[in-house]
Amino acid sequence: MQVAIQGPWSPLLGRLTLSAIPYTNPILVGTFAVAALIALVVAGAVLYYKKLGYLWREWLTTVDHKKIGVMYIIVGLVMFFRAFVDGLMMRTQQAMAIGPHSPGVLGAQHGYLPPFHFDQVYSAHGTIMILFAATPLLTGLTNVVVPLQIGARDMAFPYMNALSLWLTTAGAILVMLSLFVGDFSSAGWVGLIPLTELPYSPGVGVDYWMWAIQISSIGTTLNAINMIVTIIKMRAPGMGWFRVPVFTWTTLSTNIIGLTAFPILGVVLALLGADRYLGTHFFTAGNGGNLMLYTNMFWIWGHPEVYFLVLPAFGIFSEIIPTFSEKPLFGYTTMVAATFAIAGISWAVWLHHFFTMGAGADVNGFFSIATMLVGIPTGVKVFNWMFTLYRGRLTFTTPMLWALAGLFLLLVGGITGMMLAIPAINYTVHNSVFVIAHFHCMVLLVAAAIFAGVVYWFPKVFGFQLDEKNGLMFFWSFITATAIVFTAMFALGFQGETRRLDYIFNPAWRPMLWTEEAGMMLYLVSIFYFLRMLYVSLRDRVPVASDPWGTARTLEFLTHSPVPFYNFAVTPQVNARDELAWRREHGLDKAQPEAFEPIHMPSNTGVPIIIGMLSLTLGFGLIWRIWWMAGFSLLAIIIAVIIRSFDKNLGYELKPEEVAAMERNLATASIIAEQPARTPLTEAEAH
Amino acid sequence: MSAPHSNPLEHPEVRQASTWRYLAGFAATIVLMQAALTVTLRQHLPYTEYTLTIAGLALASLLAQAALFFGLDISRAQIWKSVSLVLTVPLFILSVGLTVWMFHSLMQRTMIMPQNMAQPTMLQ
Amino acid sequence: MATQAAPGAGTRLFHPHFEGHDQISARTLGFWLYMLSDALLFTGLFLAYAVLNNPMGAAGGPIATQIVNPVEGMWQTYAVLGSVAAYSLATVALKKGSMVGVMAGIVISILLALVFLGYEVHDLMGLMAQGHGPDSSGFLSAFFVLIATHGLHMVFGILWMIVMLVQIPTLGFSPNVVARLLNLRMFWQFQATVWVLVYVYVYMIGAF
Repeated sequence: MQVAIQGPWSPLLGRLTLSAIPYTNPILVGTFAVAALIALVVAGAVLYYKKLGYLWREWLTTVDHKKIGVMYIIVGLVMFFRAFVDGLMMRTQQAMAIGPHSPGVLGAQHGYLPPFHFDQVYSAHGTIMILFAATPLLTGLTNVVVPLQIGARDMAFPYMNALSLWLTTAGAILVMLSLFVGDFSSAGWVGLIPLTELPYSPGVGVDYWMWAIQISSIGTTLNAINMIVTIIKMRAPGMGWFRVPVFTWTTLSTNIIGLTAFPILGVVLALLGADRYLGTHFFTAGNGGNLMLYTNMFWIWGHPEVYFLVLPAFGIFSEIIPTFSEKPLFGYTTMVAATFAIAGISWAVWLHHFFTMGAGADVNGFFSIATMLVGIPTGVKVFNWMFTLYRGRLTFTTPMLWALAGLFLLLVGGITGMMLAIPAINYTVHNSVFVIAHFHCMVLLVAAAIFAGVVYWFPKVFGFQLDEKNGLMFFWSFITATAIVFTAMFALGFQGETRRLDYIFNPAWRPMLWTEEAGMMLYLVSIFYFLRMLYVSLRDRVPVASDPWGTARTLEFLTHSPVPFYNFAVTPQVNARDELAWRREHGLDKAQPEAFEPIHMPSNTGVPIIIGMLSLTLGFGLIWRIWWMAGFSLLAIIIAVIIRSFDKNLGYELKPEEVAAMERNLATASIIAEQPARTPLTEAEAH
Repeated sequence: MSAPHSNPLEHPEVRQASTWRYLAGFAATIVLMQAALTVTLRQHLPYTEYTLTIAGLALASLLAQAALFFGLDISRAQIWKSVSLVLTVPLFILSVGLTVWMFHSLMQRTMIMPQNMAQPTMLQ
Repeated sequence: MATQAAPGAGTRLFHPHFEGHDQISARTLGFWLYMLSDALLFTGLFLAYAVLNNPMGAAGGPIATQIVNPVEGMWQTYAVLGSVAAYSLATVALKKGSMVGVMAGIVISILLALVFLGYEVHDLMGLMAQGHGPDSSGFLSAFFVLIATHGLHMVFGILWMIVMLVQIPTLGFSPNVVARLLNLRMFWQFQATVWVLVYVYVYMIGAF
């Protein structure tokens, strides 16, 4: 039943041979040198400052939702940078390889990337941006913010939260590994079928793509469960459903999508895996397989996934715009209803990704109308934000600017989306870069929301603000670059440029392609300002008050900045929808609890990172068909789960004196401070 | 996180267990499945009526299991389970229903069905 | 606005000694949500089966009528529902705090599950021996994967039950153990529900 593969295979190393290491490719060797250098510097710094123990005790084994969120964001930023470089490589190739007389270097006939390498670059760009950059960044933000916003001590399942992080990280590591060992899928991020089948992609590229997504999406599903239970069960006293902040609402809806859509992705990839490993015929071209079944199932997940990304972005806007308009959010109820309407409709629109498949007018008509229906709740949201701004006292801080830019991107992306929802137009521009420009407007809206959120909540977590001057430069260069690249891309789409071209046959497109390349250079400038923003802020570290913006409205800004690892010394009682704004209005925002009480906290554990790393070796074993490695890893994961279930650790308790001391000296309670070893509770103490 | 306070055996979800309900759930499911099996084996109904009958019996057994085995209701202990189930069921229907509709339409438009393909060929 | 009452004498700003949620309820809800996502997983498999279950998908190989046996499937249904009933009665024993009762129920449940799996393995091995393995047609791929995924769920359930047979005597009815027993009950019932759907859709309608 197991499928025979081409090329050598040994029981010890599977398909892995020395030729899998691309040491002849100067681009990859250079990348490896840079990556190795960075890794050496980081490792050297950790060892030199003797921080290895700190790193293990306080970060790698942590179950604190804020630290986990911060690590999610770090993973997301690294992957975001990686995928940006992929984008830069694609644009550069297209700017170079124009017309039959364009020269070729590094083994390419035109430009500098041979087709096989170029195909891997765009596949990696899409896969990473959606699943390993945007998703972890948003998950990180929700992890940090939601428990604070609802006045909880932590997530409902802190241990599972850490597990989600390490599964996602294992997937991200697999994608990175494909740069230096073997190659990545060259079949697009959607896995164009039947190109992903074994006869057409006999290498390990598709396996890397498949297992990386599979492992990380298990993490996403677990995180969704965690978030939903946290929001349902752990809200502070007094926070009825109509007092839940909108960001928390959008997190709830997005995680409902995550919970329900990701299993379909898991199934479709598992079936593809069965085709590749066991020789089944789900999606093969012959023997009764059905190609369209793959595309259909992929997009059943794929479209809700789009809203999975965009809903939390809407939530971030809904937090930032009222704060910097000094007004409550206009139309809270309709905002929540619109959020859930979008989440609901997202399940009935997926066919618009393949209108040209050949379904009849009735089917295409149904999905076209359903797609346009999404415009109604989205429109409600846009008007709500505009009415919030209307006659507000606006301050144009960096987060506010990102949010407003996000609204413009939403407008452009949304209206082009409505155009694409019309099958007649879709038939014309299908597969052209017009589609690419459309969805980049949407995902860059998400990116804008992420940057807005990071700048907005950074001082809450670390106790100092990100540098505003460099932040503004970062914002303007990034947004201008976006405008340049994607305006040109819309134009090229109308001129008929199809997507995924490694060679441009029409020299008339040169000016627009070079415009795009210029925009990419501006993105590079924005990265410089981003790094400089981090550097300057870390250097100056200007401490801030519990509400660094002075006009924030929700519960997370009630506790101290930097937020203590136990979040709230005493659980707050919620009296209003915008609790902090209500307290400020009535002069209660400085009120502190009268007495402290013991706080029960979960103990750190190394099990999640161990399971994460075992799933990495499991994935690696499966990709290279090293059966012993895969088998041992799977067995070890099961054993680790069982052993962990016998664990009797009941967590530890902070004494009221300890809490009082930390409340006086907040630096000792911040998430970057090292905590003394605390003894776990005994059975007797717990009762 | 709150420390465990009370006896876990006093938890409402433990208290909910009930011999008669479980036995009734078992009996109801078995009877319904047996009825469906009888209808299947007799083969006296045309296809559409047959599938509708079977689907009705299956639905009844699902409801019996939800109410009797899972003990779903709108009490404080179970409300969120019921709500999440009610929110998820449309997704099952949407994804399967729309897919089947779409493939049916696609088959009719793109596949020419030779008559002999409609007949089983190997095992007869 | 109703939510924006002005502060008065009774206004509380903090809630000391807030009890929070109870851990068992959170765990059962979390597990229930996992099961809903698992149900979507089976939705995906059913969907694949529905699309591939036609003469085109069978690609000249056997179709459903030729490989399913609804009468044998009824014996499997008896076994799986009996197993669920046994485990459910174990939770009635849990209510009474009887370790022996819980463990006896779990053991019976495991035995009946093994009977079910025996039928299933025999069934699938028989098909493979006749040369109708999952690699012979799209329809058989969908059939095997749907049945085997359900079977794998049972295998994991049995493994979980064995772990519980060790944990009950060693850890006693601690909150963790009780939460796991409750979750396992939902899981076990869930796989039986999936089996009922598989039975109706694959074995009965398929046999028509």
